[in-house]
Amino acid sequence: MTNLRITTSPDRVRALLRLLPGAIGIALVAYALLAGGYLISVVSFGLIYAIFVTGLNLFMGYTGQVSFGQNAFAAISGYASAILTATYGWEPLLATATGLAGALAVALVVGYPTLRLKGHYLAMATLAIGLIAYEVAVQWQSVTQGYMGISGVPPLGIAGFEITSERGNLLFLAAIAALGVTAAALIRHSRVGRAMAAIAGSEDAARALGIDVARYKLLAFLIAAVYAALAGSLFVHVVGFVSPEVFGLHMVNLAFTMLYVGGIGTVMGPLVGAVVIMLLPETFRAFKDYQDLAYGAALILLLIYAPRGLASLADLLRRRAGEGRRA
Amino acid sequence: MIRLRLEGLTRRFGGLVAVDSVTLDVAAEGVTAVIGPNGAGKTTLFNMISGFVPPSAGRVLFEGEDITGRPPERIAARGLIRTFQLVQLFQNLSALENVAVGRHLHTRGGLWAALARPGWARREEAEVDRRARDLLAFVGLGDRAETSAAVLPYGQQRLLEIARALAAEPKLLMLDEPAAGLNAAETRALSEIIRRIAERGTTVLLIEHDMPLVMTTADTVVVLDFGRKIAEGAPAAVRADPAVIEAYLGGAEAAHA
Amino acid sequence: MPDPAYVAQILVSGLGVGCIYGLIGIGFCVIYNASGIVNFAQGAFVMLGGMITHALVQRMGLPLLPAAVGAILLVAALGIVVERVVVRPLWVRNATMFAMILATLAAQIVIERATLILFGDQPKTLPAFTDLPPLRIAGVAISFQFLWIVGASAAIILGLAAFFARTRTGKAMRACAINREAAALQGIPVGTMLALSFALSAALGAVAGILITPTQYTAFNVGLPFAISGFIAAIVGGFGRPFGAFLGGLALGVAQAVAVFALDAGFKNIAALSVLLVFLFLRPQGILGAAK
Ligand SMILES: Nc1ncnc2c1ncn2[C@@H]1O[C@H](COP(=O)(O)OP(=O)(O)OP(=O)(O)O)[C@@H](O)[C@H]1O
Ligand SMILES: [Mg+2]
Repeated sequence: MTNLRITTSPDRVRALLRLLPGAIGIALVAYALLAGGYLISVVSFGLIYAIFVTGLNLFMGYTGQVSFGQNAFAAISGYASAILTATYGWEPLLATATGLAGALAVALVVGYPTLRLKGHYLAMATLAIGLIAYEVAVQWQSVTQGYMGISGVPPLGIAGFEITSERGNLLFLAAIAALGVTAAALIRHSRVGRAMAAIAGSEDAARALGIDVARYKLLAFLIAAVYAALAGSLFVHVVGFVSPEVFGLHMVNLAFTMLYVGGIGTVMGPLVGAVVIMLLPETFRAFKDYQDLAYGAALILLLIYAPRGLASLADLLRRRAGEGRRA
Repeated sequence: MIRLRLEGLTRRFGGLVAVDSVTLDVAAEGVTAVIGPNGAGKTTLFNMISGFVPPSAGRVLFEGEDITGRPPERIAARGLIRTFQLVQLFQNLSALENVAVGRHLHTRGGLWAALARPGWARREEAEVDRRARDLLAFVGLGDRAETSAAVLPYGQQRLLEIARALAAEPKLLMLDEPAAGLNAAETRALSEIIRRIAERGTTVLLIEHDMPLVMTTADTVVVLDFGRKIAEGAPAAVRADPAVIEAYLGGAEAAHA
Repeated sequence: MPDPAYVAQILVSGLGVGCIYGLIGIGFCVIYNASGIVNFAQGAFVMLGGMITHALVQRMGLPLLPAAVGAILLVAALGIVVERVVVRPLWVRNATMFAMILATLAAQIVIERATLILFGDQPKTLPAFTDLPPLRIAGVAISFQFLWIVGASAAIILGLAAFFARTRTGKAMRACAINREAAALQGIPVGTMLALSFALSAALGAVAGILITPTQYTAFNVGLPFAISGFIAAIVGGFGRPFGAFLGGLALGVAQAVAVFALDAGFKNIAALSVLLVFLFLRPQGILGAAK
């Protein structure tokens, strides 16, 4: 929540409004810790997705680019984690680090030609990248075990200290998610973040001010890939299992719904969106097919009727507060 | 001293010659205005100088260095900053942040500085903030710092774009029709701002349709017509030039001349 | 040097799939011309063409031809539903291009999932339209399904050409493509044209899906790769030019067939998608540039 210190707003209400999502998040984690059971898993998944969506938001919300293929980076790192630990007996931490590096390397190679595309072309190309990752996971059976997937992936830990309790997991994930959101906030309110936001606003104007647009797009893409990869590996270690479906179109659908529920382009939106969606009651039961149907429909409705998501609610309150002050 | 030299600069779009072999020296001191009827090729000339459109022929020399065909961001880094005929603000940012983006070339914080916030980066950010506020005050937007650029009235948007360009500390500032859409009072204020920019040692190259503004602000006037340079000189002399009168009377712009 | 008959075989198979991509590509162009929208749900229509035909044949016991016609009509109607429920509300709100892309992609996912729930996840296929052994011409096997695909595509192209050149509606759609504002001023109901373009485009997708299903299979999730292929076909042909899109589809089909034969059969889809990416990256800048 370091962002609160960086942009000290003169307006008290505003500051409180910014604190709100973080405070609710902390309260939620605390409540889940106390209540235990089912809620722990729900909040854990929410936090993992919050990390993924925070990266997505950096690339799309801050920088104004499009990617439907972030699930590819989650898949690369997730599979690396699963294969290196379950098949080759590596330490989970080392496997995760390797997965992150691999995802980053692929993002670099793929990002360079892809990010020269714009608009519809960029959207289609990234969609294809996500599909390719899925197909590789399905077809490269000797390594990924195809549709069957890989089970028995050990939990995270260092040198014998494994996080085996659900509560330990939750605390660990909460810490990582808080770090992730804080890092995103720090980036947003920095020279790098301003350059990204400038690109979202007008590429021509950004270039006219000396911003190397291609470089900052690639940087945003790489950062988003790291977030996605981290989420992918965390997921695999927490659940102990990976299959192609985990990182399929389902993930894209869910992530975008979360992004739009929370408010695209806002620092806290991803966290809020992820937690809200995860808390929706039917979410965690086994009806994944209905889930995707519901999320897809919800996404369409949001795009039409509330394109700024819950963030527009905050806007409303802020405006009220502003009016009150002037009066 | 010559800030900018154009040698036979030409741009063709298919069969149309938008800019036709323009040769021009822009002195380092003062304000140079480029005028001409609609479609004369003024914006295309700016686009070639600033690297947004590659010339079909000719060269652009900035302080004696050939910058022809370089990408816009490299040209900007050389000290040549432009604004756009249609305002191109970062609508998603506040007025203050817009100007802060203008400091990009003179700051160096990268990803690491953003995350770790070492002392120098924090000082840099404070300096960016201070300078940006100064510039907003300079163009008369001191009280609009936190306002979203998207909701500013049009005249203030134009001024904000100028403040943002100034944040980049240009050696040569190119303004494409800065007075378009401004009322008379705003135009007078703009004229004053442009004069003060020039007095601080920044070369100003200006495209403008507003003749009173040109006459009161420019030291040199260059006239384009159908892509060709047809006149160049002091405002009064150019205004009396028969070729210029002909160009304007021939076109639809007679009212302006 | 590979055997010429083998090369010809690859060509034939590529051209067959290429026709399918071409039809889907035309579907993209029809909507794009009417509205400037790229419909990311295009693949759903292709998938449903095969799926619904299969259901009508299997569950209702209809013969193939009426089943196919019924499927095409149903999918065209669904196209109008997508336009009314998803696209139009965004259109009237002047939503960003990105919102439109995301919403149509979400529509694709919704249709996919609904299909999964209704029809299950088992791949399905259709019988070949003509159940005869392939023709052998100079060592090259030419299946009757290939002839159906080529024949139907040719008929559709001729039909579309006549539609756009002769009929009032076709001319109105062309006018919208050239300049929507001017068309609206001339009293052309631009909104109706948008709905029509979705119906036409959905029908084209359904036909493509029905034609290709006997040669492979269909399942709830086959749509997206087809959509991407059709999109690339449209790009190669110079976005917005329906007949260019068809030629683009042929080029893409052949390129993919070559790539697929060069690789392990299991990696067929990966090769195909990679070819798509390469086409995107290398797209000949000059010819197109229409879509932004
Ligand atoms: N990208 C382009 N492609 C094709 N033609 C162009 C392009 N840009 C400019 N033109 C043409 O070049 C000519 C010069 O245009 P330009 O915008 O430079 O004129 P201008 O002097 O700035 O006019 P105005 O006063 O209206 O701004 C015009 O005929 C214009 O239509
Ligand atoms: Mg102009």
